[in-house]
Amino acid sequence: MRTRLIPTRLRHAFLPGVRRQARGSSLHALVGAYVLDALPEAERLAFERHLLHCEQCRNDASGLREATALLATATAVPPRPELRERTLNAAALVRQLPPVVDEQPDGARRVARLTSRPAAAVRRRPWLAVAVSAVMAALVATSVVLGLHASSMQNRLTAAQQRDSVIAAILGAHDATMLTAQVQTGGTATVVMSHHMHALVFTASGLTRLPRSRAYELWVMGPAGDTPAGLLPPGHDGMSGPMVVRQLSPGDRLGLTVESASGSPHPTSPPIVLVTLD
Amino acid sequence: MRGGDAAGGRHGLRGAQSERDSRDSRDSRDGGVSRDGLAIALTAVARGDEAAFRAVYDQAAPAVLGIVRRVLRDPAQSEEVMQEVLLEVWRSAARFDPAAGSATAWIMTLAHRRAVDRVRSEQRAAERELRAASMPVAYDEVADAVESSLERERVRRCLDGLTDLQRESVTLAYYRGYTYAEVAGLLGVAVGTVKTRMRDGLIRLRDCLGVG
Repeated sequence: MRTRLIPTRLRHAFLPGVRRQARGSSLHALVGAYVLDALPEAERLAFERHLLHCEQCRNDASGLREATALLATATAVPPRPELRERTLNAAALVRQLPPVVDEQPDGARRVARLTSRPAAAVRRRPWLAVAVSAVMAALVATSVVLGLHASSMQNRLTAAQQRDSVIAAILGAHDATMLTAQVQTGGTATVVMSHHMHALVFTASGLTRLPRSRAYELWVMGPAGDTPAGLLPPGHDGMSGPMVVRQLSPGDRLGLTVESASGSPHPTSPPIVLVTLD
Repeated sequence: MRGGDAAGGRHGLRGAQSERDSRDSRDSRDGGVSRDGLAIALTAVARGDEAAFRAVYDQAAPAVLGIVRRVLRDPAQSEEVMQEVLLEVWRSAARFDPAAGSATAWIMTLAHRRAVDRVRSEQRAAERELRAASMPVAYDEVADAVESSLERERVRRCLDGLTDLQRESVTLAYYRGYTYAEVAGLLGVAVGTVKTRMRDGLIRLRDCLGVG
Protein backbone atom coordinates (compact mmCIF):
# COMPACT_ATOMS: atom_id res chain seq x y z
CA MET A 1 0.00 0.00 0.00
CA ARG A 2 2.58 2.49 1.08
CA THR A 3 4.96 1.65 -1.72
CA ARG A 4 2.19 2.02 -4.24
CA LEU A 5 1.52 5.50 -2.97
CA ILE A 6 5.01 6.80 -3.40
CA PRO A 7 5.05 7.26 -7.16
CA THR A 8 1.79 9.16 -6.97
CA ARG A 9 3.10 11.38 -4.27
CA LEU A 10 6.21 12.11 -6.25
CA ARG A 11 4.20 12.81 -9.33
CA HIS A 12 2.12 15.29 -7.38
CA ALA A 13 5.14 16.91 -5.90
CA PHE A 14 6.28 17.75 -9.38
CA LEU A 15 2.96 18.33 -11.03
CA PRO A 16 0.66 19.93 -8.50
CA GLY A 17 -2.76 20.58 -9.86
CA VAL A 18 -2.47 18.07 -12.68
CA ARG A 19 -5.57 15.96 -12.79
CA ARG A 20 -4.72 12.50 -11.74
CA GLN A 21 -5.72 9.29 -13.32
CA ALA A 22 -5.01 7.29 -10.23
CA ARG A 23 -7.73 5.17 -8.70
CA GLY A 24 -8.41 3.14 -5.64
CA SER A 25 -6.19 3.68 -2.67
CA SER A 26 -4.54 6.86 -3.91
CA LEU A 27 -7.85 8.46 -4.75
CA HIS A 28 -9.02 7.33 -1.40
CA ALA A 29 -6.27 9.37 0.22
CA LEU A 30 -8.06 12.48 -1.00
CA VAL A 31 -10.96 12.03 1.37
CA GLY A 32 -9.48 14.44 3.92
CA ALA A 33 -8.85 17.17 1.36
CA TYR A 34 -12.30 16.55 -0.06
CA VAL A 35 -14.05 16.96 3.26
CA LEU A 36 -12.04 20.12 3.93
CA ASP A 37 -13.12 21.52 0.53
CA ALA A 38 -9.43 21.69 -0.32
CA LEU A 39 -9.66 20.04 -3.73
CA PRO A 40 -9.63 22.14 -6.89
CA GLU A 41 -12.91 21.90 -8.78
CA ALA A 42 -11.82 19.29 -11.32
CA GLU A 43 -10.45 16.99 -8.65
CA ARG A 44 -13.50 17.47 -6.49
CA LEU A 45 -15.76 16.38 -9.31
CA ALA A 46 -13.52 13.40 -10.00
CA PHE A 47 -13.62 12.44 -6.35
CA GLU A 48 -17.39 12.73 -6.24
CA ARG A 49 -17.60 10.38 -9.19
CA HIS A 50 -15.38 8.04 -7.25
CA LEU A 51 -17.70 8.32 -4.25
CA LEU A 52 -20.57 7.01 -6.33
CA HIS A 53 -18.86 3.65 -6.52
CA CYS A 54 -17.11 3.55 -3.18
CA GLU A 55 -19.34 3.03 -0.21
CA GLN A 56 -16.36 2.91 2.09
CA CYS A 57 -15.32 6.36 0.91
CA ARG A 58 -18.80 7.73 1.46
CA ASN A 59 -18.80 6.42 4.99
CA ASP A 60 -15.37 7.83 5.62
CA ALA A 61 -16.31 11.19 4.19
CA SER A 62 -19.46 11.48 6.25
CA GLY A 63 -17.60 10.47 9.41
CA LEU A 64 -14.93 13.08 8.84
CA ARG A 65 -17.59 15.68 8.11
CA GLU A 66 -18.81 15.32 11.66
CA ALA A 67 -15.37 16.42 12.79
CA THR A 68 -15.22 19.40 10.43
CA ALA A 69 -18.72 20.38 11.56
CA LEU A 70 -17.32 20.83 15.04
CA LEU A 71 -14.48 22.92 13.67
CA ALA A 72 -17.26 25.13 12.33
CA THR A 73 -19.43 25.26 15.42
CA ALA A 74 -16.38 26.17 17.47
CA THR A 75 -16.25 29.47 15.58
CA ALA A 76 -19.88 30.44 16.25
CA VAL A 77 -20.62 34.14 16.64
CA PRO A 78 -24.07 35.65 17.05
CA PRO A 79 -25.32 37.33 13.85
CA ARG A 80 -26.70 40.87 14.06
CA PRO A 81 -30.33 40.59 15.13
CA GLU A 82 -31.74 42.23 11.98
CA LEU A 83 -30.31 39.46 9.83
CA ARG A 84 -32.74 37.03 11.39
CA GLU A 85 -35.85 38.80 10.22
CA ARG A 86 -34.34 39.46 6.82
CA THR A 87 -33.40 35.84 6.28
CA LEU A 88 -36.66 34.44 7.54
CA ASN A 89 -38.61 36.76 5.28
CA ALA A 90 -36.46 35.95 2.30
CA ALA A 91 -37.10 32.27 2.83
CA ALA A 92 -40.81 32.85 2.42
CA LEU A 93 -40.14 33.83 -1.18
CA VAL A 94 -37.86 30.95 -2.00
CA ARG A 95 -39.48 27.92 -3.51
CA GLN A 96 -38.40 24.72 -1.82
CA LEU A 97 -36.96 21.75 -3.63
CA PRO A 98 -38.89 18.50 -3.55
CA PRO A 99 -37.28 15.50 -1.88
CA VAL A 100 -35.03 13.34 -4.00
CA VAL A 101 -37.08 10.53 -5.45
CA ASP A 102 -35.30 7.29 -4.87
CA GLU A 103 -35.13 5.96 -8.40
CA GLN A 104 -31.41 5.49 -8.54
CA PRO A 105 -29.38 2.80 -6.85
CA ASP A 106 -29.02 3.56 -3.19
CA GLY A 107 -25.42 4.65 -3.50
CA ALA A 108 -26.09 7.33 -6.06
CA ARG A 109 -28.96 8.74 -4.10
CA ARG A 110 -26.93 8.96 -0.94
CA VAL A 111 -24.10 10.72 -2.64
CA ALA A 112 -26.45 13.23 -4.13
CA ARG A 113 -27.44 14.15 -0.61
CA LEU A 114 -24.13 13.66 1.04
CA THR A 115 -22.27 16.07 -1.14
CA SER A 116 -24.96 18.69 -0.70
CA ARG A 117 -24.61 20.32 -4.05
CA PRO A 118 -26.76 23.35 -4.47
CA ALA A 119 -29.42 22.45 -6.98
CA ALA A 120 -29.24 23.38 -10.61
CA ALA A 121 -31.25 26.57 -10.51
CA VAL A 122 -29.12 28.25 -7.92
CA ARG A 123 -25.88 26.96 -9.35
CA ARG A 124 -26.76 28.38 -12.70
CA ARG A 125 -27.66 31.67 -11.17
CA PRO A 126 -25.65 31.99 -7.98
CA TRP A 127 -26.65 35.60 -7.59
CA LEU A 128 -30.28 34.65 -7.18
CA ALA A 129 -30.16 34.09 -3.47
CA VAL A 130 -28.34 37.38 -3.09
CA ALA A 131 -30.91 39.13 -5.21
CA VAL A 132 -33.71 37.56 -3.24
CA SER A 133 -32.25 38.66 0.05
CA ALA A 134 -31.57 42.15 -1.28
CA VAL A 135 -35.11 42.44 -2.56
CA MET A 136 -36.48 41.03 0.66
CA ALA A 137 -34.42 43.44 2.70
CA ALA A 138 -36.00 46.23 0.73
CA LEU A 139 -39.44 44.67 1.06
CA VAL A 140 -39.12 44.41 4.79
CA ALA A 141 -37.81 47.93 4.92
CA THR A 142 -40.76 49.38 3.04
CA SER A 143 -43.16 47.32 5.08
CA VAL A 144 -41.69 48.91 8.17
CA VAL A 145 -41.98 52.37 6.69
CA LEU A 146 -45.57 51.76 5.68
CA GLY A 147 -46.45 50.58 9.13
CA LEU A 148 -47.02 47.05 8.01
CA HIS A 149 -44.65 45.64 10.53
CA ALA A 150 -47.11 43.07 11.71
CA SER A 151 -46.43 40.66 14.49
CA SER A 152 -46.27 37.68 12.25
CA MET A 153 -44.57 37.20 8.96
CA GLN A 154 -47.78 35.83 7.52
CA ASN A 155 -49.72 39.01 8.15
CA ARG A 156 -47.08 41.11 6.63
CA LEU A 157 -46.90 38.92 3.61
CA THR A 158 -50.63 39.09 3.17
CA ALA A 159 -50.46 42.86 3.13
CA ALA A 160 -47.99 42.93 0.30
CA GLN A 161 -48.84 39.56 -1.08
CA GLN A 162 -49.80 40.45 -4.57
CA ARG A 163 -46.70 42.46 -5.23
CA ASP A 164 -44.61 39.83 -3.51
CA SER A 165 -45.90 37.09 -5.71
CA VAL A 166 -45.07 39.12 -8.81
CA ILE A 167 -41.60 39.75 -7.44
CA ALA A 168 -41.17 36.10 -6.63
CA ALA A 169 -42.29 35.16 -10.12
CA ILE A 170 -39.78 37.52 -11.72
CA LEU A 171 -36.95 36.38 -9.48
CA GLY A 172 -37.83 32.80 -10.18
CA ALA A 173 -38.29 33.19 -13.93
CA HIS A 174 -36.21 30.79 -15.98
CA ASP A 175 -34.60 33.67 -17.87
CA ALA A 176 -34.14 36.01 -14.89
CA THR A 177 -31.03 38.13 -15.30
CA MET A 178 -29.48 40.47 -12.80
CA LEU A 179 -27.99 43.81 -13.81
CA THR A 180 -26.31 46.26 -11.52
CA ALA A 181 -25.27 49.83 -12.19
CA GLN A 182 -23.65 52.59 -10.19
CA VAL A 183 -25.84 55.59 -9.47
CA GLN A 184 -24.02 58.81 -10.33
CA THR A 185 -25.00 60.53 -7.11
CA GLY A 186 -24.04 57.51 -5.01
CA GLY A 187 -25.39 54.02 -4.48
CA THR A 188 -26.04 50.98 -6.61
CA ALA A 189 -29.08 50.07 -8.65
CA THR A 190 -29.98 46.42 -9.05
CA VAL A 191 -32.39 45.15 -11.65
CA VAL A 192 -33.63 41.60 -11.95
CA MET A 193 -35.22 41.27 -15.35
CA SER A 194 -37.24 38.62 -17.08
CA HIS A 195 -37.57 39.23 -20.81
CA HIS A 196 -40.06 36.41 -21.00
CA MET A 197 -42.33 38.17 -18.52
CA HIS A 198 -41.56 41.64 -19.90
CA ALA A 199 -41.05 42.67 -16.31
CA LEU A 200 -38.35 43.59 -13.84
CA VAL A 201 -37.73 44.21 -10.17
CA PHE A 202 -35.72 47.28 -9.25
CA THR A 203 -33.92 47.86 -5.97
CA ALA A 204 -31.23 50.29 -4.97
CA SER A 205 -28.84 50.42 -2.08
CA GLY A 206 -26.87 53.27 -0.60
CA LEU A 207 -28.73 56.04 -2.41
CA THR A 208 -27.97 59.55 -1.22
CA ARG A 209 -30.63 60.71 1.19
CA LEU A 210 -32.82 63.41 -0.33
CA PRO A 211 -34.48 66.40 1.32
CA ARG A 212 -38.17 65.91 2.06
CA SER A 213 -39.16 67.99 -0.92
CA ARG A 214 -37.44 65.63 -3.35
CA ALA A 215 -37.88 62.00 -4.37
CA TYR A 216 -36.29 59.45 -6.65
CA GLU A 217 -38.51 58.65 -9.61
CA LEU A 218 -38.16 55.64 -11.85
CA TRP A 219 -38.75 55.84 -15.60
CA VAL A 220 -39.14 53.48 -18.48
CA MET A 221 -37.24 55.32 -21.19
CA GLY A 222 -38.09 53.76 -24.51
CA PRO A 223 -38.13 54.60 -28.19
CA ALA A 224 -41.66 55.95 -27.77
CA GLY A 225 -40.75 58.30 -24.91
CA ASP A 226 -40.40 58.32 -21.15
CA THR A 227 -43.06 56.76 -18.97
CA PRO A 228 -43.12 57.25 -15.20
CA ALA A 229 -42.72 53.95 -13.35
CA GLY A 230 -43.26 55.24 -9.85
CA LEU A 231 -41.64 57.07 -6.98
CA LEU A 232 -39.14 55.15 -4.95
CA PRO A 233 -40.47 54.75 -1.41
CA PRO A 234 -38.18 56.26 1.22
CA GLY A 235 -35.34 53.88 1.90
CA HIS A 236 -34.58 52.15 5.12
CA ASP A 237 -31.36 50.58 6.20
CA GLY A 238 -29.77 51.74 2.96
CA MET A 239 -32.20 49.78 0.80
CA SER A 240 -34.74 51.33 -1.56
CA GLY A 241 -37.45 49.51 -3.44
CA PRO A 242 -38.33 46.98 -4.58
CA MET A 243 -40.28 48.37 -7.49
CA VAL A 244 -41.94 46.21 -10.08
CA VAL A 245 -42.03 47.45 -13.67
CA ARG A 246 -44.16 45.52 -16.13
CA GLN A 247 -45.17 45.60 -19.77
CA LEU A 248 -41.68 46.38 -20.97
CA SER A 249 -41.01 46.64 -24.69
CA PRO A 250 -37.86 45.93 -26.66
CA GLY A 251 -35.45 48.85 -26.52
CA ASP A 252 -36.73 50.11 -23.19
CA ARG A 253 -34.23 51.39 -20.68
CA LEU A 254 -34.72 52.05 -17.02
CA GLY A 255 -33.82 55.47 -15.68
CA LEU A 256 -33.80 57.11 -12.29
CA THR A 257 -34.08 60.85 -11.74
CA VAL A 258 -34.52 63.16 -8.79
CA GLU A 259 -37.86 64.94 -8.91
CA SER A 260 -40.14 66.82 -6.58
CA ALA A 261 -41.57 64.71 -3.79
CA SER A 262 -44.93 64.43 -5.55
CA GLY A 263 -43.34 63.15 -8.72
CA SER A 264 -43.31 64.49 -12.23
CA PRO A 265 -45.00 63.45 -15.48
CA HIS A 266 -41.71 63.87 -17.33
CA PRO A 267 -38.14 63.71 -16.17
CA THR A 268 -36.87 67.22 -15.43
CA SER A 269 -33.19 66.31 -15.30
CA PRO A 270 -30.88 63.74 -16.88
CA PRO A 271 -31.08 60.31 -15.28
CA ILE A 272 -28.56 59.60 -12.52
CA VAL A 273 -28.55 55.99 -13.63
CA LEU A 274 -29.71 54.51 -16.90
CA VAL A 275 -29.92 50.75 -17.24
CA THR A 276 -30.04 49.18 -20.69
CA LEU A 277 -32.29 46.16 -20.50
CA ASP A 278 -31.35 44.19 -23.59
CA MET B 1 -28.03 10.35 14.69
CA ARG B 2 -27.52 7.68 12.11
CA GLY B 3 -30.62 5.64 11.81
CA GLY B 4 -29.93 1.98 11.32
CA ASP B 5 -26.24 2.54 11.23
CA ALA B 6 -25.32 1.94 14.80
CA ALA B 7 -23.38 -1.24 14.21
CA GLY B 8 -19.63 -0.94 14.39
CA GLY B 9 -17.18 -1.63 11.63
CA ARG B 10 -18.71 0.89 9.31
CA HIS B 11 -15.67 3.08 9.16
CA GLY B 12 -12.59 1.92 7.41
CA LEU B 13 -10.80 4.92 8.76
CA ARG B 14 -11.59 4.16 12.34
CA GLY B 15 -8.36 4.90 14.13
CA ALA B 16 -6.84 3.16 17.06
CA GLN B 17 -7.42 6.06 19.38
CA SER B 18 -10.32 5.48 21.69
CA GLU B 19 -13.24 7.81 22.01
CA ARG B 20 -12.55 9.62 25.17
CA ASP B 21 -15.89 11.22 25.66
CA SER B 22 -18.85 9.48 27.09
CA ARG B 23 -22.11 9.16 25.27
CA ASP B 24 -23.69 11.65 27.62
CA SER B 25 -21.49 14.51 26.55
CA ARG B 26 -22.34 13.89 22.94
CA ASP B 27 -25.78 15.30 23.36
CA SER B 28 -24.45 18.81 23.72
CA ARG B 29 -22.50 18.58 20.53
CA ASP B 30 -24.53 20.99 18.50
CA GLY B 31 -23.67 23.99 20.58
CA GLY B 32 -25.98 23.00 23.38
CA VAL B 33 -28.77 21.70 21.17
CA SER B 34 -29.16 18.05 20.53
CA ARG B 35 -28.45 17.15 16.96
CA ASP B 36 -31.61 15.13 16.84
CA GLY B 37 -33.50 18.34 17.57
CA LEU B 38 -31.92 20.07 14.63
CA ALA B 39 -32.56 17.10 12.36
CA ILE B 40 -36.21 17.03 13.37
CA ALA B 41 -36.52 20.75 12.78
CA LEU B 42 -34.97 20.31 9.35
CA THR B 43 -37.48 17.64 8.50
CA ALA B 44 -40.24 20.08 9.36
CA VAL B 45 -38.55 22.80 7.32
CA ALA B 46 -38.68 20.45 4.35
CA ARG B 47 -42.47 20.62 4.65
CA GLY B 48 -42.40 24.40 4.55
CA ASP B 49 -42.72 24.92 8.30
CA GLU B 50 -41.60 28.49 8.91
CA ALA B 51 -41.53 28.15 12.67
CA ALA B 52 -39.18 25.23 12.32
CA PHE B 53 -37.01 27.34 10.05
CA ARG B 54 -36.81 29.97 12.77
CA ALA B 55 -35.55 27.29 15.11
CA VAL B 56 -33.02 26.06 12.58
CA TYR B 57 -31.86 29.63 12.06
CA ASP B 58 -31.44 30.21 15.77
CA GLN B 59 -29.47 27.02 16.18
CA ALA B 60 -27.35 27.10 13.07
CA ALA B 61 -26.85 30.73 12.04
CA PRO B 62 -24.14 31.56 14.60
CA ALA B 63 -21.96 28.67 13.50
CA VAL B 64 -22.67 29.36 9.83
CA LEU B 65 -21.66 32.99 10.29
CA GLY B 66 -18.66 31.93 12.33
CA ILE B 67 -17.19 29.60 9.77
CA VAL B 68 -18.06 31.80 6.81
CA ARG B 69 -16.41 34.76 8.46
CA ARG B 70 -13.39 32.70 9.34
CA VAL B 71 -12.91 31.87 5.69
CA LEU B 72 -13.99 35.14 4.06
CA ARG B 73 -12.81 37.60 6.71
CA ASP B 74 -14.95 40.40 5.30
CA PRO B 75 -17.85 40.94 7.73
CA ALA B 76 -20.37 42.33 5.24
CA GLN B 77 -19.70 39.65 2.67
CA SER B 78 -19.88 37.04 5.40
CA GLU B 79 -23.35 38.16 6.44
CA GLU B 80 -24.44 37.94 2.84
CA VAL B 81 -23.10 34.42 2.48
CA MET B 82 -24.62 33.42 5.81
CA GLN B 83 -28.02 34.44 4.49
CA GLU B 84 -27.42 32.57 1.25
CA VAL B 85 -26.54 29.46 3.21
CA LEU B 86 -29.62 29.67 5.40
CA LEU B 87 -31.79 30.21 2.35
CA GLU B 88 -30.17 27.19 0.77
CA VAL B 89 -30.98 25.23 3.91
CA TRP B 90 -34.59 26.31 3.59
CA ARG B 91 -34.66 25.52 -0.10
CA SER B 92 -33.07 22.12 -0.01
CA ALA B 93 -34.11 20.85 3.42
CA ALA B 94 -35.89 17.95 1.74
CA ARG B 95 -32.52 16.77 0.49
CA PHE B 96 -31.17 16.35 3.99
CA ASP B 97 -30.70 12.68 4.69
CA PRO B 98 -30.40 11.87 8.40
CA ALA B 99 -28.88 8.50 7.56
CA ALA B 100 -25.96 10.18 5.82
CA GLY B 101 -24.86 12.37 8.71
CA SER B 102 -25.94 14.90 11.28
CA ALA B 103 -27.95 17.99 10.48
CA THR B 104 -25.11 20.13 11.74
CA ALA B 105 -22.64 18.45 9.41
CA TRP B 106 -25.03 18.92 6.51
CA ILE B 107 -25.49 22.62 7.17
CA MET B 108 -21.83 23.28 7.91
CA THR B 109 -20.87 21.50 4.71
CA LEU B 110 -23.13 23.85 2.76
CA ALA B 111 -21.70 26.83 4.62
CA HIS B 112 -18.06 25.93 4.21
CA ARG B 113 -18.44 24.97 0.59
CA ARG B 114 -20.15 28.22 -0.22
CA ALA B 115 -17.60 30.31 1.63
CA VAL B 116 -14.78 28.56 -0.16
CA ASP B 117 -16.51 28.94 -3.52
CA ARG B 118 -16.83 32.64 -2.86
CA VAL B 119 -13.20 33.00 -1.91
CA ARG B 120 -11.98 31.11 -4.92
CA SER B 121 -14.22 32.80 -7.43
CA GLU B 122 -13.74 36.33 -6.24
CA GLN B 123 -10.34 36.55 -4.78
CA ARG B 124 -7.64 37.35 -7.25
CA ALA B 125 -4.57 35.22 -7.15
CA ALA B 126 -2.43 38.16 -6.14
CA GLU B 127 -4.65 38.97 -3.21
CA ARG B 128 -4.50 35.42 -2.07
CA GLU B 129 -0.74 35.46 -2.27
CA LEU B 130 -0.66 38.63 -0.28
CA ARG B 131 -3.04 37.26 2.27
CA ALA B 132 -1.03 34.10 2.59
CA ALA B 133 2.20 36.01 2.96
CA SER B 134 0.90 38.49 5.50
CA MET B 135 -0.60 35.98 7.87
CA PRO B 136 1.20 33.72 10.23
CA VAL B 137 0.70 30.04 9.64
CA ALA B 138 -2.46 28.90 11.32
CA TYR B 139 -1.82 27.40 14.64
CA ASP B 140 -4.32 28.39 17.22
CA GLU B 141 -7.22 29.33 14.99
CA VAL B 142 -9.73 28.46 17.60
CA ALA B 143 -8.03 30.38 20.35
CA ASP B 144 -9.15 33.83 19.26
CA ALA B 145 -12.82 32.96 19.30
CA VAL B 146 -14.99 35.57 20.92
CA GLU B 147 -16.31 33.49 23.72
CA SER B 148 -15.22 30.35 25.31
CA SER B 149 -17.34 27.27 25.67
CA LEU B 150 -16.91 23.68 26.56
CA GLU B 151 -17.20 22.71 22.94
CA ARG B 152 -14.59 25.17 21.86
CA GLU B 153 -12.33 23.85 24.57
CA ARG B 154 -12.86 20.34 23.37
CA VAL B 155 -12.11 21.21 19.77
CA ARG B 156 -9.02 23.11 20.78
CA ARG B 157 -7.83 20.27 22.95
CA CYS B 158 -8.33 17.79 20.16
CA LEU B 159 -6.55 20.06 17.67
CA ASP B 160 -3.67 20.22 20.11
CA GLY B 161 -3.54 16.44 19.95
CA LEU B 162 -2.62 16.50 16.26
CA THR B 163 0.92 16.69 14.97
CA ASP B 164 1.92 20.17 13.87
CA LEU B 165 1.72 19.25 10.22
CA GLN B 166 -1.67 17.60 10.60
CA ARG B 167 -3.08 20.54 12.50
CA GLU B 168 -1.71 23.13 10.10
CA SER B 169 -2.91 21.19 7.08
CA VAL B 170 -6.42 20.87 8.51
CA THR B 171 -6.79 24.42 9.81
CA LEU B 172 -5.25 26.18 6.81
CA ALA B 173 -7.67 24.35 4.56
CA TYR B 174 -10.75 24.60 6.72
CA TYR B 175 -10.38 28.01 8.34
CA ARG B 176 -8.66 29.77 5.49
CA GLY B 177 -10.16 28.01 2.49
CA TYR B 178 -6.88 27.04 0.88
CA THR B 179 -6.57 24.14 -1.53
CA TYR B 180 -4.21 21.34 -0.61
CA ALA B 181 -1.72 22.66 -3.17
CA GLU B 182 -1.82 26.09 -1.56
CA VAL B 183 -1.41 24.56 1.86
CA ALA B 184 1.56 22.59 0.60
CA GLY B 185 3.08 25.78 -0.73
CA LEU B 186 2.53 27.62 2.53
CA LEU B 187 4.01 24.83 4.58
CA GLY B 188 6.77 24.02 2.14
CA VAL B 189 5.96 20.33 1.95
CA ALA B 190 4.95 18.02 -0.87
CA VAL B 191 1.29 18.04 -1.88
CA GLY B 192 1.02 14.31 -1.29
CA THR B 193 2.17 14.82 2.26
CA VAL B 194 -0.48 17.47 2.81
CA LYS B 195 -3.22 15.21 1.50
CA THR B 196 -2.36 12.41 3.85
CA ARG B 197 -1.89 14.79 6.77
CA MET B 198 -5.34 16.21 6.11
CA ARG B 199 -6.86 12.77 6.15
CA ASP B 200 -4.90 11.50 9.12
CA GLY B 201 -5.46 14.72 11.04
CA LEU B 202 -9.20 14.55 10.50
CA ILE B 203 -9.30 10.92 11.53
CA ARG B 204 -7.54 11.73 14.75
CA LEU B 205 -9.76 14.74 15.30
CA ARG B 206 -12.89 12.71 14.69
CA ASP B 207 -11.80 10.01 17.11
CA CYS B 208 -10.78 12.51 19.75
CA LEU B 209 -14.09 14.36 19.45
CA GLY B 210 -15.98 11.10 19.49
CA VAL B 211 -18.04 11.88 16.42
CA GLY B 212 -18.65 10.23 13.08
